[in-house]
Amino acid sequence: MVTSIDPITFEVLRNTFEHVCRRMTVILQKSSFSPILSENLDFSNAIYDPALRLVGQTANCPVHLAAMHFSVQAVARKFGIETLRPGDVVVLNDPYDGGTHINDVTLTMPVFHEDMLIGFAVSRGHWMDLGGGGPGGQGFGTHVAGEGLRLPPLKLYRNYEVDPDLLEILLRNTRTPHYIRGDLQAHMGALLAAEDELQATARKYGRATLLQGMDDMIRYTERIVRAEIENIPDGVYEGADYADSDGITDAKVWARVKLTVSGSNLHVDFAGSDPQVAGAINSPFANTTAAVYTALQFFLAPDAPPNAGMFAPITLSLPDDCWLNARWPAPVVGCTTVTSGKVQSAIWQAVAKAIPDLAIAPTCADANWFVAAVRGAGGRIDVFSDIPAGGWGGTPYNDGLNVTLDPLGNCTNMPAEAAELLYPVVVEAFDLRQDSGGPGENRGGLGARFKFRFLNGGELSIETSRTIEGSPGVNGGSMSPVQVLVQEYGDGRREIIGGPRPDGTWRSPLLSSHKFGPNEAFEFLSTGGGGWGVARSRNPERVREDVIDGYISAEAARRDYGVAIDPKTLEILSDETSKLRQQA
Amino acid sequence: MWKVGIDVGGTFTDLFAVNSATGEERTGKVLTTPEERSRGVLNAIANAGIAPNEIELLVHGTTTATNALIERTFPDAAMITTEGFRDVLEIGRMHREHLYRPYQTKPEPLIRRRHRYTINERTTAFGKVEKEIDAAELQPIIEAIAAAGIKSVAICLINSYANPANERKVAEIITAALPGVRAISSADVKPVFREHTRFTLASVRATILPVMADYFERLEARLREAEFTGNLMILKSNGGMMSVNQARLRVEELVESGPAGGVGYASEIARTASSVNIIHTDMGGTSFDASIVEDGEGLITREYEIEFDIPVAVPMLDIRSIGAGGGSIGWIDSGGSLRVGPMSASSVPGPACYGRGGTRPTITDANLVLGRISPDLSGKFKLDGAAARAAVETVSSQLKLSIEECAEGMLRIATEAMAQAVKLVLASRGRDPRDFALASFGGAGPLHACAVAEALGTPTVIVPRYSGVASAYGALRLAIKHDEEVFYYAPLVAKELDEIGLRLKNLGAAAVEALLGQGASADSVQVSFVMRMRYAGQTFEVDVVQDRGVIERRDLDRLAEAFHGAHKREFGVRSNDFPVEIVALAVTAEAPSPAGILQSSTSSAIGSPRQAERKVWFGGWTDSLVHDAAGAVEVSGPALIEDPHTSIVIPPGWAARFDSARNCILERS
Repeated sequence: MVTSIDPITFEVLRNTFEHVCRRMTVILQKSSFSPILSENLDFSNAIYDPALRLVGQTANCPVHLAAMHFSVQAVARKFGIETLRPGDVVVLNDPYDGGTHINDVTLTMPVFHEDMLIGFAVSRGHWMDLGGGGPGGQGFGTHVAGEGLRLPPLKLYRNYEVDPDLLEILLRNTRTPHYIRGDLQAHMGALLAAEDELQATARKYGRATLLQGMDDMIRYTERIVRAEIENIPDGVYEGADYADSDGITDAKVWARVKLTVSGSNLHVDFAGSDPQVAGAINSPFANTTAAVYTALQFFLAPDAPPNAGMFAPITLSLPDDCWLNARWPAPVVGCTTVTSGKVQSAIWQAVAKAIPDLAIAPTCADANWFVAAVRGAGGRIDVFSDIPAGGWGGTPYNDGLNVTLDPLGNCTNMPAEAAELLYPVVVEAFDLRQDSGGPGENRGGLGARFKFRFLNGGELSIETSRTIEGSPGVNGGSMSPVQVLVQEYGDGRREIIGGPRPDGTWRSPLLSSHKFGPNEAFEFLSTGGGGWGVARSRNPERVREDVIDGYISAEAARRDYGVAIDPKTLEILSDETSKLRQQA
Repeated sequence: MWKVGIDVGGTFTDLFAVNSATGEERTGKVLTTPEERSRGVLNAIANAGIAPNEIELLVHGTTTATNALIERTFPDAAMITTEGFRDVLEIGRMHREHLYRPYQTKPEPLIRRRHRYTINERTTAFGKVEKEIDAAELQPIIEAIAAAGIKSVAICLINSYANPANERKVAEIITAALPGVRAISSADVKPVFREHTRFTLASVRATILPVMADYFERLEARLREAEFTGNLMILKSNGGMMSVNQARLRVEELVESGPAGGVGYASEIARTASSVNIIHTDMGGTSFDASIVEDGEGLITREYEIEFDIPVAVPMLDIRSIGAGGGSIGWIDSGGSLRVGPMSASSVPGPACYGRGGTRPTITDANLVLGRISPDLSGKFKLDGAAARAAVETVSSQLKLSIEECAEGMLRIATEAMAQAVKLVLASRGRDPRDFALASFGGAGPLHACAVAEALGTPTVIVPRYSGVASAYGALRLAIKHDEEVFYYAPLVAKELDEIGLRLKNLGAAAVEALLGQGASADSVQVSFVMRMRYAGQTFEVDVVQDRGVIERRDLDRLAEAFHGAHKREFGVRSNDFPVEIVALAVTAEAPSPAGILQSSTSSAIGSPRQAERKVWFGGWTDSLVHDAAGAVEVSGPALIEDPHTSIVIPPGWAARFDSARNCILERS
């Protein structure tokens, strides 16, 4: 197809594709049953053209962005596009056949207009539990089979009717069968809305114009991405970050990236990254690809329609034996959070070398995703999950965002009042952690203190990082402090169960089914983002304001920023401040 | 005696008045006095030649609350909250507004961190007080609040929706210690579940309460001085009105007080112009507002956000606003695509054709280029057609389009953006635009109304007679309204229904009581009942409207069916797999506007059918008649109808006629 639709119809379709995905999102959020969907918004909805290319998406989880495209391809591979019928819905989650980690379940529906395919509606959500060795898939074994029920592409609906046998399998392979039917119904509501909208658009403009518009939209985004790549000086830029541990051995696991910019093309090479590991942080190709595109989107096309046009100018190579290119049967449950975060941070650090004036410092680079198994009324096991975020890095223009989910996702928190109503827990804190932003001329945003108590005891699994070093700064900015995991016993005694301990030892922040007795609490201190620019260049007045509001302590003002503040009047002691700043 | 509606907007203060004895109607427009808006209210009254002591009813819509919130011009308030939750306002729901923008920031929290204090207390999710308030712990906080000169405190404790005892206790202690400080319990503002939602709502009340108290005090003082002794009513966000004494307390209900009047006008049109369902649109210089009037009522949302992640969880007219107005600028983005807005040339420098230094093409320029507006629009000053063409050419040359094609393209894009805004309101509620008529308000609205209607498939457009002072006119049409809501959890089973029926009845009685206190007469009060329901396991609810408050066991099947139907309409699916539960009960009591039923004085053309001929572009230059609004009777497109405030564009294939109230009705011929 060479000809283009007129610019006006183009703009209309652009709005339509956005609108379709937004409507899917509202329906899935408001009508789903598991709080990880309704409260945390851990899902994404998208539409694809008949050639299996992404046309539009509301990505509450940007890391689903490129990954869902592998799902549609897996559906086509398995069934052949020509065999699909109206009302078919294909489910899958296999990390090695269209999925990423087991919990992200993808539903794909072909959409027809007058018996001709006009695209696909796709809805991906994080399902709370699909079995496996630990609640929420977090068994941390060394085989993907331990992470839950693995679904190849299967027709879950035919002619809009659910297959009762398949549904029965789903219901019997989960710790939380009470969510399955309702969540499925909500996904179906979202898919039906997309079908309805796309068909209405085809009726109005005709199939040919609609498909041409999809093609134009993709080429439009590609033009924007290419123009932005051309603005980056040609060259090779390197960055690296690491996961603290794979949960099995206590060794760092490195992601090393090399960006090669050449004209309007960008090549991303992970040569030199660590081999596949035993533990659950390996990342299938689909997930690594998604993390790469998510990280780059911030600097290439933040406002362009998110679609397949992003992918064309960017090529990717991965070593065969690499934790970022996982092969069966490697376990992968931590790939979307721990691993995506490190890939994104490594890329941002490489970008900072290419365009230092425009770069922003790395974030906490993790979702800090935990899953807790709790015993509710009548001894029923329930599974509770949240993602207490850290902060974002300082930017050339302002301080980083406080406590905001990492770039890989845009999920929301579980309100304390929702958690306490639904589960036998008491949430005791979710507030800002003082001094947790990396110091800088523009400092990193702050991390959080998150704490909840198990009323009847339970188990907690978590996978995170940044417990050896915090988030690095850029352009002379400083690093944030490390993250800390604490268990508080019934008698008030506190023990660090992840991160550096007072005795000089260190514990891995990947915990699987860690036991908590009745009335014991879990506390997590997340870290902020890295600093941007030299901290002692920060305007002392801004430092003073931060002290008044308690974002930083008076001690940190003196130590990190060279600003002396009278503890009583909270005024700047200017002579002492000049002296401190001269010493630096 | 006069009944007067006044709308204080950003640029103009509009007035509409009707004489109760003679039926005489007057309109007026004066400049808003931003430094002291109450002065503009008096100016508008004087300008209309009305003596304040001859006003029996003054209904007032105000954007003062909204402006104070958005511009953060309120005095500092404080917050007292449960230990561990100091930063609920600041962390919000932990997400970000723009997925991929690297330099984005979030709106400033309504209450600064330095004024947020924590105390050690606890109520469980099931309403049991586990840790009582310790008065001694509050002492240093009270001292700090006094030292900072703070006048209002939001008391926001975890789980207070289930039991407000601890919050009320804190409020008592604060009030006793600091009589001049207003202590606001979050559960008393509204007992909604989810701390961020409730704390934010309480903070909205705490921050703007002093602002609005001052404003109403000054307004009343000025009115008293001018010997006004009538009834002063204030428009509220849900499309009703309340007494000024209620408004002083429930300031969080004033956020949509400004646009509410326009929706009131649209509701009247819905009743009189026999179009039951109306899309209300208002297009001015910088923005386009859209909302829905269904069965004669404005549709309501509970999810309004002042800014990103700052929700105001009270029932509010669901008005969507986008940056598309007469001043919106056309431009080419880095992908080579033509875009319009959201940036606007506003009043400085203004559209290129204003000749005040603007060089970028605006929607107004495009309309002038296409002959859709007269160069001597409203006789104020002459518009510069050459400047408009030159501005459009800066864009058209890059697209290799003619100037006219490009100008028309800009209008189509703006039109589509408007249509999308309307669709968002409609589609998120599963409504079909073909079931509606589009009512167009505002100076720039009628220029585009038929095109927006085409894009939506809406068959009818209505340009109301007083569309230029729509909000002031509409203010007199709104009902007195009072909402009450309680958190009440119960499964939908027969044995619960008697208790629910009793609670709804009591809630309705409380709302009626509140209404009678605002001057409504008992025989005119109507109460509507809403049960907020969901499938057991969901965490969001669907509103299920009850036509009557009497609920008994035998209503079980009817209620269940009403819920399934509402769920299917909102979310596309329904199911018998899950039990149904009730989460909250709400009532709205209302009484007709104290302005009574107004008799429109005019029913036929009020001028001679003057007309002129002009070339207007509709996909090509077309000879079109330009009619004077006062004398027009029936007009077929392509044509224009002009009045002092606006121009109605009638494209080819459309025809206009006037109804008995001189509203212009446009339909595809």
